[in-house]
Amino acid sequence: MTKRRDIYLYLTLICFFAIIAIFVVDGYMGVYDTFRITAGERPQKIDPDFWLRPEATTYETWVAWGEKVFFDYEIANHRLTGYTAEVNASVWRSQEKVRDLLTQPVTIGGLQNARVEFAVDTAELVPDGVSQGQSVQYSIQVNRDNIERRIIIRINPGSFPVPPKPVIEPRPAQPG
Amino acid sequence: MKINYILYGFGILLCLSGVGYLAVQYVKYLSELGRLISLLLTIGMFASLGKFFESVGW
Repeated sequence: MTKRRDIYLYLTLICFFAIIAIFVVDGYMGVYDTFRITAGERPQKIDPDFWLRPEATTYETWVAWGEKVFFDYEIANHRLTGYTAEVNASVWRSQEKVRDLLTQPVTIGGLQNARVEFAVDTAELVPDGVSQGQSVQYSIQVNRDNIERRIIIRINPGSFPVPPKPVIEPRPAQPG
Repeated sequence: MKINYILYGFGILLCLSGVGYLAVQYVKYLSELGRLISLLLTIGMFASLGKFFESVGW
């Protein structure tokens, strides 16, 4: 009876440590990336689990025209071995690349983090022929290995540069 | 003897809170297979624990 009781206890312990092993190996080990975006004065954070959600393909933010959007891309290497990759960031619109923002190789030691920073100046992005009230969207595409992250920036249409209004001279007073 | 049971209970609570913490932190990063195996192991763990307490006489 005592031996059988011990078997149940051992089975419990085996299951418990197996669960912990799965959490460590499958849940913690790996390479994870976090975005910190400052659009205008609004700081935003995109945690790694955002990209793991099945419905999440892109993240969208907005900014007033003329302001810069600052990106802080953090790569966390949760592995015991080192990690080397090249980070590419570019601006896209209508499936066409508008400009490259960054190409930077990163080398991260085991259980270390690395950060890559870049910025997008929206004043340089608004295409010609955009009228007042029209929303303009650009995609910021960040590639690392075979992983692609896409962040949509919507430029506030109400803040495009307004052409100066014609000055109307006051009509001279009618005599009499 | 009574203090032993209090310590057992304390240990079990610590284990459960540890697994709970890990679950909250890392279950979102688990693959679908990892989640399934963890679920089955959790069921197995509680079943074995229940049988252990049953054999002890609780």
